Amino acid sequence: MNFIRKTLVASTALALATTAMTGMARAETMILASPQVPEGFDGDALKAHTQNVVTQVYENLIGYGRMEVNGQTVLNPNDLRGHLAESWTTSEDGKTWVFKLREGVLSPFGNELSAEDVVWGWNKSFDQKRTGNFIARVSNVASVEALSKYEVQFNLSEPSAIFLSALTLYVPGIYDTTEVKKHITAADPWALEWMQSNTAGYGAYHLESLRADDQAVFVANPNYFGGQPYYDRVIYKEIPSEASRVTLLKAGQVQWIDRPSMQKVVDMQADANVKVERATSRSVAAARMNPSCELLSDVRVRQAFNYGVDKDALNTAVFAGQADIAKSIVSPIITGSKQDYFPYDYDPEKAKALLAEAGYPDGISEPIELYYADEFWHQEPVAIQVADMLKKVGINIVPTRITASDMRARAAPAVQDMCFFTWEDGPIVLDAVYAMFLMTHSAGVSNRAKYSNPDLDAVIDAARQERDTDKRMALMDEAQKLWGADAPWILVTYPPTFEAMASNVSGWVYYPDEHERWRELKGN
Amino acid sequence: MTLQRFLLRRALMVIPLMIGVVFITFMLVRVGGLDPVGRLAGPTATQAEFDSIRENLGLDRPLWEQFGIYLGNVVRGDLGESWLSNRPVLTDIKERAIISLELLALGVGIGTLIGVPVGLRAAFRPNGRFDQLTRILSLLGFSIPTYWLGLVMIFVFFYLLGWAPPAIGRMSLLVSPPDTITGSYLIDGLLTANWQAAWSAATQLVLPVICLAIVSAAPILKQTRAIAIEVLASDTVRYAHACGLPEHIVRRVVLRNSAVPVLTFVGTEVTGLVGTMSLIEYVFAWGGLGQYGLNAIISGDFTAVQGYVLALALFSVLVFIAIDIVVHLIEPRSELS
Repeated sequence: MNFIRKTLVASTALALATTAMTGMARAETMILASPQVPEGFDGDALKAHTQNVVTQVYENLIGYGRMEVNGQTVLNPNDLRGHLAESWTTSEDGKTWVFKLREGVLSPFGNELSAEDVVWGWNKSFDQKRTGNFIARVSNVASVEALSKYEVQFNLSEPSAIFLSALTLYVPGIYDTTEVKKHITAADPWALEWMQSNTAGYGAYHLESLRADDQAVFVANPNYFGGQPYYDRVIYKEIPSEASRVTLLKAGQVQWIDRPSMQKVVDMQADANVKVERATSRSVAAARMNPSCELLSDVRVRQAFNYGVDKDALNTAVFAGQADIAKSIVSPIITGSKQDYFPYDYDPEKAKALLAEAGYPDGISEPIELYYADEFWHQEPVAIQVADMLKKVGINIVPTRITASDMRARAAPAVQDMCFFTWEDGPIVLDAVYAMFLMTHSAGVSNRAKYSNPDLDAVIDAARQERDTDKRMALMDEAQKLWGADAPWILVTYPPTFEAMASNVSGWVYYPDEHERWRELKGN
Repeated sequence: MTLQRFLLRRALMVIPLMIGVVFITFMLVRVGGLDPVGRLAGPTATQAEFDSIRENLGLDRPLWEQFGIYLGNVVRGDLGESWLSNRPVLTDIKERAIISLELLALGVGIGTLIGVPVGLRAAFRPNGRFDQLTRILSLLGFSIPTYWLGLVMIFVFFYLLGWAPPAIGRMSLLVSPPDTITGSYLIDGLLTANWQAAWSAATQLVLPVICLAIVSAAPILKQTRAIAIEVLASDTVRYAHACGLPEHIVRRVVLRNSAVPVLTFVGTEVTGLVGTMSLIEYVFAWGGLGQYGLNAIISGDFTAVQGYVLALALFSVLVFIAIDIVVHLIEPRSELS
């Protein structure tokens, strides 16, 4: 332990020296071990690990309130509060919203937040036509304009029940445009080149330095309107091997590791030096069937697949029994989730009967590839288990590994050529309508297997414009019923979100984007 | 053949070889089923955005045209930009090459210093106790997966015993890297008299170097033993024995006659260990060329993969040329050909 002792002495000395030099009362550094350093810092163009860090840098007009559930602090999706906005008003028809910005909000560069910053960020998203533009589209935002320095107006094409929730997201971002505009060129009007390795937001942190394939260092925004966070420096360190990340956490060398696998979670739960926090996720692990593939176009076959999979056994074998079995595409942490319309409990005899009814009395001997990748740790074991279970009802499934980038490409809206694959998806806005639109609507970007039901689309579209909460919930009830009857996915579980941190770290709250907020963490 | 003529001839031979490597890598990457467009486009992209990205990357053009453009750029020293990080691939490779070379040189150097003398000693008394022991150790070195070995070393020497620093890369997070001169933190620390950085870099090197030394020593030991046994049975050595030369003189003869094949083998070992390096760099978060290549392959970054393979091919060629020259210096009778 000599080395560790020396390191601790050195770190204490260094911390004291830094404190003395900067005159600060406290200088706490959090080291976060991650498989990869972010490949970019533009929330509109998500690359590997971009989302993990832009959530720390770019904050939005609205935030969630908190509530206590079973002794755990969680976000309250029904309590939306001003964040960078102080207050807001809406027109009678629900198409015009005016937000009064908080005054005196400063970026790390010392520039004050203005309505022009909000407008610029939304126009950037409109122009890039990527993540932010999708958010704008689903929340019906047609344009944004500045009314005064502190007043910004959103013009909606139709009323939107999820508009306010969409304003909790990091994208479309609110940038310190005084700083960003210094880096625009004629060929690069949104300074995207600069954003590849720089940040300029009004959030609690900003990027101080970046070494590709090594580390990104973030420091606290000294002018942050929400007060100074406990950790004034966060080192986002690339440690590719998960085993190494876990060892470093156990040894106290890092304070946080990025999303551990279930196997490692079970291991760390028994370690006194590590705190493992759990939350039911907003996302769903599933094996998705593509109804445009001939075999899977028959709803009876899809239902047979569902009856042929023992979800309890899957939960035990893959998720160590720690996940919740999924009975709706909408997670139970979202208001409006109905767990009653997915009746496919394990019943191999019923599966065989349905197959026979669909014209396969002897099962399906023709090999069906079940694709999986390593985008999510459970994809492979789920694929193997599902294949094994379906073999028992006479369906010849061949688990087939492809790369994560290949799977993303093949599941993109423009391609969607996989007939059967494992994946995980969930909404980053805690809203049932958004969740259904995202994953089941024919225009939803997370509807990755060409599922399309015009009746369902119509119900979701009606719900998107419905402002009466009870009516929206009724429509969502109907939507989940329609989707459940079509059985386009083999729903598996809501994989719990686990975060692993040093035992003295507190303040973690689950966010639907599945990224902790460093500003809320404390180390004592 | 003079050294100059030899180098000129080798340089001329390298050109078609490199074109072949560029061609094969280029085609393999493209027919390998990887499609970076989906990843670049993001989850919300429409068909039009897909097409636009494909067009911007030149992926909509015929393969032969893409290859022609790429080859033209390579000839001009432009390996393109990484599609994911937008950084020039050549810059990335240059920055990381020295990091990997430092590790490779130290690891294989120590592996050679262990493998050659141990192999020779084992050969002098074949089937003796020492030989039996070294054969077992050599077998272990061959059999243990590098990845697992690295993890076990971290667990034992860092976590359990606390003798080694954490596997967080080339430098402690508490120490500022030295000013860049060569790119090696150890050398730059020493050159700039930044002792703290040099010490930190040296301690971080210990575990990955030992890991690589173990992996490289095993085949060197085995091969050295086999070569030395062959030399011991040669007419030269039998004649030396028959002449009654003292044992230490005979051993010197064996050593001299084994030097060339052993050196040649070490050269092939150096080039062969490049793949192993990727795993060691991955486990120790080393951030060198091996980790870069592995990341590029996993993420389907075509230009980075092509640059990485080209750099490895060039490195192998240079190693073999260097060995030819060194062999010629050791054994002047050998032809540079």
